[in-house]
Amino acid sequence: MTTVRAWRRLGLRACLLLAAAAFNATLGADAAAPTRSMGPGPAEWANDLSPIAASDWNALRAAHLLERAGFGGSPDEIARLAAMTPGQAVDSLVDFDRLPRDLPPFDHSGIWDPGMDPFPPSRAEAVRLARERGEGLGEKVRPAGSQRRLQPVVDKFFYSLAANGIETQRLGLWWANQMLSTRRPLEEKLTLFWHGHFATGENKVRDYRMMLRQNEMFRAQAAGTLRGLLVGILKDPGMLVYLDNGENIKSHPNENFGRELLELFSMGVGNYTERDVREAARAFTGWTNDVLEFKFDAAQHDDGEKTFLGRTGRFNGEDIIDIILAQPVTADFVAGKLYRYFVRDEAAPPVRAALGRTLRDSGYEMRPLLKQIFLSRDFYSAPSYATQIKAPVHLVVSTYRKLGLKTVPTIPDFGRMTASLGQSLFDPPNVAGWAGGRTWITPSTLLQRGNVFRDVLFPGVKSFRPPDRAMSATDQGVGERLSRGMDITEATREGEAAPGMTAESNMMVDRDEDYNTRYGGYKGYLLAFERTKAIPRRPAAIDLSAIAQAAGADTADKIVDHFIGRFLSVPLADKDRAVLVEFLRGKLGAGRIQPGDALEPALRELLYLVLSVPEYQLG
Amino acid sequence: MHRRCSCSRRDFLARGLYGIGIGAGLPLFLNRTSAALTAQAIAGTSVEKHPERILVVIELAGGNDGLNTVVPYADPAYYRARPKLGIKERDVIHASDGFGFHPSMVGFERLYKDGLLGIVHGCGYDHPSLSHFSSMGFWHTGIPNGGDSYGWLGRLADKTYDSGRRNMIVNVGTSQSLAVRSAQHSPLVFDDPARFRRDGQDDEKRALASLSQPRQTSNPTLEFLAATAQNATESSDFVRQASADYQTPVDYGIGGGLGGNLRRVMSLIAAGMPTRLYYVTYAGNSFDTHVQQADLHSRLLMYTADAVHGFIEDLKRIGRADQVAVMIFTEFGRRVEENGSLGTDHGTATPMFIVGKPVQGGFYGQHPSLTDLDDGNMKMTTDFRRVYATLIKEWLGYDDTAAVLKGRFDTLGVFTKT
Repeated sequence: MTTVRAWRRLGLRACLLLAAAAFNATLGADAAAPTRSMGPGPAEWANDLSPIAASDWNALRAAHLLERAGFGGSPDEIARLAAMTPGQAVDSLVDFDRLPRDLPPFDHSGIWDPGMDPFPPSRAEAVRLARERGEGLGEKVRPAGSQRRLQPVVDKFFYSLAANGIETQRLGLWWANQMLSTRRPLEEKLTLFWHGHFATGENKVRDYRMMLRQNEMFRAQAAGTLRGLLVGILKDPGMLVYLDNGENIKSHPNENFGRELLELFSMGVGNYTERDVREAARAFTGWTNDVLEFKFDAAQHDDGEKTFLGRTGRFNGEDIIDIILAQPVTADFVAGKLYRYFVRDEAAPPVRAALGRTLRDSGYEMRPLLKQIFLSRDFYSAPSYATQIKAPVHLVVSTYRKLGLKTVPTIPDFGRMTASLGQSLFDPPNVAGWAGGRTWITPSTLLQRGNVFRDVLFPGVKSFRPPDRAMSATDQGVGERLSRGMDITEATREGEAAPGMTAESNMMVDRDEDYNTRYGGYKGYLLAFERTKAIPRRPAAIDLSAIAQAAGADTADKIVDHFIGRFLSVPLADKDRAVLVEFLRGKLGAGRIQPGDALEPALRELLYLVLSVPEYQLG
Repeated sequence: MHRRCSCSRRDFLARGLYGIGIGAGLPLFLNRTSAALTAQAIAGTSVEKHPERILVVIELAGGNDGLNTVVPYADPAYYRARPKLGIKERDVIHASDGFGFHPSMVGFERLYKDGLLGIVHGCGYDHPSLSHFSSMGFWHTGIPNGGDSYGWLGRLADKTYDSGRRNMIVNVGTSQSLAVRSAQHSPLVFDDPARFRRDGQDDEKRALASLSQPRQTSNPTLEFLAATAQNATESSDFVRQASADYQTPVDYGIGGGLGGNLRRVMSLIAAGMPTRLYYVTYAGNSFDTHVQQADLHSRLLMYTADAVHGFIEDLKRIGRADQVAVMIFTEFGRRVEENGSLGTDHGTATPMFIVGKPVQGGFYGQHPSLTDLDDGNMKMTTDFRRVYATLIKEWLGYDDTAAVLKGRFDTLGVFTKT
């Protein structure tokens, strides 16, 4: 790819930048466009873990580091890193505990009342308990002889599902703001990594408090030790619920927990036997939760002798963790996963082994491994440079960072944006987390990656429907019919299908005389809306004209080049750059641009194009 | 070469032309320059015996409990192993010879009575894996205890369809399944047709279409992204319109999920999409019923049966029921004995289903023994690749099943009506 004219023009600026960056803030605007040819290193750097030299350091590589160890940054932030030595730059990111963390804690709505704990595993179970006890979830059953006696309990059940779902949305937004504003971006990147590695989802856990507790544990241990993380997650109420360990008891061990620990969290398939899975399950019997606290139920614990990975003893859960950590393959496995997340998909076996050794030799502390990775020639080699596909959360947060936004816009909705691209915070698809890499990209999600930013640049404020106040179409239908005066039975009946053509599931909604499920779903939403705080809705505060002006970009050519430099990790081919220039000239003319009303919309359209090109997906 | 072809929209999709719906300003690229060559491209290669036939594969993720789906109510060992979870004989929907369906599968009852439902007992493979990801990988590649970069449907497409033909495979879902990964036939993957479009004004869309051309680059990720962008530009309008245009009174059951996805497949079939292989998932590892299985499994089976029954009814309605077969599978069954949490753990052999008007309904193969077990799990009686071979050869008409499956597997004689 040759954009020779562009390189020559920008290369001069890059030299000026590197010389003067430490002193002059306005030069930061030009830091976005240094020489492209100094991005990826020479071929022999691939798989070489030795550190790069200070003479190898430049703004492009600083940008690459910030993109991977954080969420990218503005030209100023990149310039600051570029002005350090590589060692200082990496330390500044990895030793993040030296920097303050002063972001606001999560602001709870207050949706749980005492009667709701412990929460029953299903609606059917809630109903069974209510029939037995005359109350459930803190609600009393209606007197004998009333219609739909159990309805209050059923409503409360659905309220809990809806309210926890909404509170989880608010939690996701809170976390997104942490990612955007933190001075310790690697801490958040790692928290996100551990969330995907030790995956649990609110759709099964059904308790936002547990998700928050887990998130705070990951953050506290983000760059700690693997042992701390393993013990932390295996005693985490959310994980215990997600993997059904409360059901793992002496008389009937449940192997789900043990299997995922070995297969996904620590060693990987092929390094243990089915027997090891069963013995591990026995060691974890009795590990359960009392709502939000870990509880060891000694009566349910099988403290007999177990044989696990060749060792024998009366092991409990922590012993199993220690035996796992004593296996060399554990360090290789976890180091390999970190490499995949931060560097690239395929880890050459010697690289993986070397990184595993680093992790083991440091007593499973994360920091030495991370520093080795971020300083290595391999990290800056062509196979690693701009070859990752940005995960949805990263894509959105990094775009906001590059735009210099201070808060996450709430029109469009952050959670909806990332969900439409395949990633929802606190809701991974299953315990294996997010597969990542090319699986993020399908024809549909690729189009959508551009569309989400059009909604940011041209927000539809009037037509926006907040997801934290959304009901399914079915529930809305129920509400409409009730307001028209229909009774509950009529209002909850589904559709006009011909007799015999109705699906079984649609025939079942009002079958039980003691409650109506569909009405409960509808009512649950209403109650949840009352008791959760509404997310304040604001579009992004973007001023692209100011960005262009600060960069001294006053022609279509210069603006296109500035946007390319600021947002893309790789150059565009001449013909593609020409399409953008033509497009902008069509809006603003070919000469010098004067600031004015027409400028901002045109710049936003241009930015929409830049954020939609295939190159923008590369991180 | 800017010549407008008078061919149908379906032909456009098959030959990878784009520009439909975007506007007159876009050039239309023709791969061939004469009508005769165009006609040849549409006709396909001589390898295809049945060019109109479609296969829909439904994946039930998580390990569906076959024993409570196709219930062996005449076998006392079943009730001994499942004192709490066993489905009582009086509740089972009786089918034949001591087997019947879970009571919530009213949809399957109707299909079975109409002779449209084939059930293959005890499907699995030797040295079964109890890991979701490993076992599902084996079913996807069709190579148990081995590995391949491509899926069985992908390899089938590579062998059967000329590489110039596009959109032969559609995967309705949020990510591409390994089962459809192909060397030459990039599957079209989308989940919500309404959102499968590029936003913006015409000039923005035109600019982006021209920025979505293949890239000459040494960056393999970029190459992949550009190819996907091109595919997306070409196909999105057609898919969106097909889905929006589609109306049906047929009930696919509650909400979205499998019913919604099958409805999307139907809209594409009805609109004349040239696709031959559709892949749909009932996702989220939903069938992994370790705990409190009864109510959950009942709902899952109900939604599945409703959705499949609705799909077949809808096919009949539009007169395409003779051309479509559906296969349903899961990555393993579950243990014979129930566990202490009113659920079941990972197991081995499991029934597969083949559904549709061309199917000779009934039971195939032999149910595994519930007493002669392998560490508590059933021993499979039919290698699942025999079902794959049956679909490849008997239904789609491609004889060299060994080349696709990398091994010889006899077919089952399910499609004897055709």
